[in-house]
Amino acid sequence: MLEMVNAFVSGFFQIFSWTTFSLMLLGIAIGFAVGILPGLGGPTTLAIMLPFIVKMKSVEAFAFLLGMATVTNTTGDITSILFGVPGEPTTTATIIDGHPMAKKGEAGRALGAALLSSLMGAIFGAFALAMVIPIVRPLVLTFGSPEFFMLAVLGLTFVASLSGEVLLKGLIAGGLGLFLATVGLDPMSGTQRYTFGQLFLWDGIGLVPITVGFFAIPEIVDLAVQRSSIAGERVGKLGGVMEGVKDTFRHWWLVIRCSAIGTFTAIIPGMGGATTQWLAYAHAVQSSPDKERFGKGAVEGVLGPGASNNSTMGGSLITTIAFGVPASVLMAILLGAFLIQGLVPGPDMLIPEPKGHLTLTFSFVWINVFSNIITVGICFLILNHLVKVTYIRGSLVIPFILLLIYLGAFAEKNTFADLFLVLLFGVLGWVMQRLNWPRPPLILGLVLGPLAENRLFLSTDNYGLSWLLRPGILLLILLTLVGAFYPILRTRWEKRKKEIGQAPPSEVIHKGEKGGLRFNWETIFNLFLIIIFICALWQSRRFNFRAGLFPWTIGFPVLGLTIIQFIKTLIVEEGEKRDGLLPNAGHKLPTHIVNRRTAGIFGWVVGYFVAIWLLGFSFGVPLCTFIQLKFGYREKLTLSLILTVFAWAFIYGLFDRVLHTPFPPGLLFNFFSKIFIGGSNI
Amino acid sequence: MKRFFLPMVAIVFTLIPCITLGAGPFYEGKMIRIIVGTSPGGGYDIYARTIARHLGNHIPGHPNIIVENMPGAGMLISANYLYKIAKPDGLTIGHFGGGLFFNQLMGQPGVEFDARKFEYIGAATKGDPVCVLAKSVGITSIDKWVNSKTPVKLGGVGPGLFTPDNCVRILKVALGLPIQLVSGYKGITEVRLATESGELAGTVGAWSGLKMSWRKFLETGDAVVVLQAVPKPIPDLPNVPLAINLAKTEEARELIEVGIHSNSEIMWPFTLSPGTPKERVEILQKAFQETLKDKEFLAEAEKAKLSLDPITGQEFEKTIARIFKLDSATIAKFKEILFK
Repeated sequence: MLEMVNAFVSGFFQIFSWTTFSLMLLGIAIGFAVGILPGLGGPTTLAIMLPFIVKMKSVEAFAFLLGMATVTNTTGDITSILFGVPGEPTTTATIIDGHPMAKKGEAGRALGAALLSSLMGAIFGAFALAMVIPIVRPLVLTFGSPEFFMLAVLGLTFVASLSGEVLLKGLIAGGLGLFLATVGLDPMSGTQRYTFGQLFLWDGIGLVPITVGFFAIPEIVDLAVQRSSIAGERVGKLGGVMEGVKDTFRHWWLVIRCSAIGTFTAIIPGMGGATTQWLAYAHAVQSSPDKERFGKGAVEGVLGPGASNNSTMGGSLITTIAFGVPASVLMAILLGAFLIQGLVPGPDMLIPEPKGHLTLTFSFVWINVFSNIITVGICFLILNHLVKVTYIRGSLVIPFILLLIYLGAFAEKNTFADLFLVLLFGVLGWVMQRLNWPRPPLILGLVLGPLAENRLFLSTDNYGLSWLLRPGILLLILLTLVGAFYPILRTRWEKRKKEIGQAPPSEVIHKGEKGGLRFNWETIFNLFLIIIFICALWQSRRFNFRAGLFPWTIGFPVLGLTIIQFIKTLIVEEGEKRDGLLPNAGHKLPTHIVNRRTAGIFGWVVGYFVAIWLLGFSFGVPLCTFIQLKFGYREKLTLSLILTVFAWAFIYGLFDRVLHTPFPPGLLFNFFSKIFIGGSNI
Repeated sequence: MKRFFLPMVAIVFTLIPCITLGAGPFYEGKMIRIIVGTSPGGGYDIYARTIARHLGNHIPGHPNIIVENMPGAGMLISANYLYKIAKPDGLTIGHFGGGLFFNQLMGQPGVEFDARKFEYIGAATKGDPVCVLAKSVGITSIDKWVNSKTPVKLGGVGPGLFTPDNCVRILKVALGLPIQLVSGYKGITEVRLATESGELAGTVGAWSGLKMSWRKFLETGDAVVVLQAVPKPIPDLPNVPLAINLAKTEEARELIEVGIHSNSEIMWPFTLSPGTPKERVEILQKAFQETLKDKEFLAEAEKAKLSLDPITGQEFEKTIARIFKLDSATIAKFKEILFK
C-alpha cells in the first residue's frame, strides 16, 4: 500500500525534469496542429514520431507520445463542435449536441463545456485508476469470453436511451448497425459476408468513413441550405465560454459519473473510446428529466462525452500497459513504442519498484493529466478566436469542410474506396436526420457488434451452453434486463405524468388527418429498409452456421420491427398526429428553395468526389475549391484564388511532402501515364 | 564559329551534370518506401521501422527510407499492391506475412499475386513456432499430453494464419494429440489473457513473439513450453522436445516438414515487385544483410528484444520454389487439414 502511494507520488515528480516536460510540450504542440484535422490526429502522427523516440528515455518518450495523443482527443472535440465533422472517431458523440449549440451561436459555451469536462474527466480518471490498479488485474482476469459477451450486450441496451422518443426507430437503427458490423471476413470461419468481392471490405466497414459521412454531410447540407454562417444567430455572454465552464460545475455529478463510465469501461479489453462516448452520452440523456432537448443543443450532451473521452484514455492505457491488449490503433502504436523502448507490458507495470515499473505507469497517468491541463489552458486562450470561425459566412467554410471530410475519411486506411463509403453513409445519414430516425444507435450497434459476435462464439466454443449459468453471467443478465427496460418504463411513467394536464409534446403537423393510407418519404424509407434486410437475409442463406448465426439472430427480429414500423407509418387513423417531424428540416424557407439548395450541395459533394477520383487529391481539391468558391458561391476572384492556393498548399505541402500520405494519383493520370510513358507492369 | 561558341558552352555545361548524374548511384536522392501489411505497432511494423532507420546507410547513394502502413484483409492488400500496382523500380519494398504464399498454393480467395515472381530481398528472422501451456493445466510434458482424457484447448486467431491456427491443426493431425482448437481471438495477446484467466490451456506461437508478449507468464514459470516445431532446438529452449522427433509416420514427418518447417523460413519476407531490375535487387539484398549486422541496428534490436535469424534473398527463393513443387495430393491433404 505504501509503495503504491510512493509510486503515485514519484510518478508525479518524474515528469518535471526539463527534457521530459519540454518533450511533453513539443508533443502537445504537434498534436494540436495535427489533431484539428479529422482522421489525421492520433495514429498517423504517432506512427511518424516512432523513429524519434528510440533515442529517448522511457519517461521522455512517453511524455512526447502521450502529450500528442491526449491533445488529439481535445482538438477532436473542437472540430466536432465547430464544424460537425468528427475530429476523431472518439469525438463523434460530441457532434450530436455540440454542433447544434454552435449553430445557435453558443459555440463558446459548447467548447468551454467540452474542454472543462475533458479536464475533469482526465483528473478523475487518473485518481480512479490509481485506486483501482491493485485490483485491476485480478478483476479483469476473472472475466472470460462469456462475461465480455454479456458486457457487450449490456452496452447495447444503451440503444434504448439513445433512441429518445422514437424507441422503435432506434431499435431498428441499432439492428442495422449490428448488421453492418457483420460486413467483412468472418473471423471464425473465414466466410466472406457482404464483401461483394471487394478486398477493402474484408475488415469490415471503417468506422471513420461512416462517422464522417453520417454526421458531417447532413450538417454541411444544412449549412448550404441556410446560406449563412454556421452560427445562425449571435448570442451574448450566455453563449460564451464562461457559461460553458459554469455548466460543467452545475452538472458536476453528471461529469463525475460519465468520467467513471469512461475509465471503468475502458479497462475492459475490447472496449475503448469509440464505445464509451456513446455510453456516456446515453447516460446523460437517460439521467435528464427533459429528454427532448437532446440533439438540439443540450449542454449535458457535450459534458457527458467530453468527460468520458479523456477518462477513457486513462483506462485504455491501463489495459494496454497491464495486459498488452490495445483497444484502438492509437493504443497499438503506443504498445509498439513500448516494445521499441524495451518495456514489456504486463503485470510488472502494475507492481511498485524495485520489482516492477509502477512509477512509470503512474507517470503516464500524470502526463495525461498535465497534457490535458496545458491543452485546455491553451484552448481557453484561443477559444474566442476559434468561435469566430462560426461567424464566417458558410460559402467560404463549406469547401474546406468538404476537404476535411474527404481527407479525414481517406487518412484512416489510405484507401480511396473509403471516400465512396463516406458518400453512401452521408446520404443515409441525411435521410435519417430528415426523417427523424436517431443515428447514434446505429453507431453503437456497429461498434459493439463485432465484440458481441466474437465473444458469443468463443463462449460456446469453450463452454458449450454451461456458461449461461455462471454467477457473474446471471448478474449481468439481470443488469441487462434492467438496463433495457428501465428507460422504457421511466419514459412511459414520465409521459403519463405530463399528459395529465398538458398537451402531448410531439408537433402537430396536420390536425385531424383523415384516416387511410399515407405515402410519403417516411414510408418509402421504411420500405427501402425492409428491402435491404430481405436482400441481406437472402444473401446469407449460403452462410454456414458460424457465419450466419449472428446475421440471422439480428436480421429476422429487426426485419419484424421494421415491418411493424412500416405499418405504423403507412396507416393513419383519424386525428392522429405524426411524431415530431420537422417541416423543411426546421428551416424557415419555402420548400422549393430548400430542395434546390439541397440538390445543389449534393451536387458539390458528389462533384468533389468525382474530381478526387479522376484527378487525385493534389489537383482535385484545389480545382473543386476554386470552382465552388468562384462559380458556386460567386465569391470575389482574389479571395477565391487565395483560398484555393491555401487549400493546395495544405494538401500538397503538408500531406504529400511532409507526411508522405500515399494519395492515389487519380484515374486520368493513370490513364495518361499508361499511354504516354508506357505505364507500370500491369 | 563565334555564333556557336556560347550555345556549345551551354550545351556542354548542361551535359556535364547529366553525364555525371547518370553515372552516380541510382539510389542517390531517392526515397524508398517500405509498405507494411499491418497497422502501426505490430511485429511486422516494428521490424520494418527498425530496419528502415539503418538500411539507407548501406545503400550506395544513401536514399531516404520511410515506412507506410497498408493494413487489411490479412495483409493481402499490401501483398497485392506490391505485386500489381507498385512500380518495379526498386523504390518500393513490401513487408507482409509469408503465410500468404502458402495460402496462394491452397487456393485462398483474394490472392492476386504469384509468390514465385516476387523478387526477394531477404528476411530478418524466421517463424519459430512453439507450443506453450499454462502450468495450471497440469500438462508439462508430452507423455502427460498424450494420455490426457480431455482435449487440451488451444487458442487460435483465424483460419489460414501460420501461427497459431495452421500449426495447431498440423500438429494435431501429425502427432495425434488430443487438441481442441478454439479460434477467433483477436490476437496472440488476447489468447494469452484467456490462458491467464483459465479459459484456454495455451496456444502455439512464434517464440520470438512469445518472448515479448508472454514474457512475464513464462518467466514466473506459470507458462511452460512443452513442444517446439523447429528442425533444430532453439538456443533458449535446449531441453524442449522437437515435434519432428515425435512424428511416428513418414506422412506425419512430411506434414511437419512442409507445413511448418518450410513455412517458418518464409514468414517475414522483404520483397520487391516482379520485374525489378536485377542490379537493384542485388544492391538491396546486400544492403539488407549488412544492415542486419550493423552495430547500431543490433543495439536497437537488442533493446526491443527483436529476434534475428537472417535469410538471404536467394535462400528465400529456393524455399519458395521447393514449396511450390508440392504434388496435388499433398496440397489437397493440407487443404483438408487447414481449411475445413
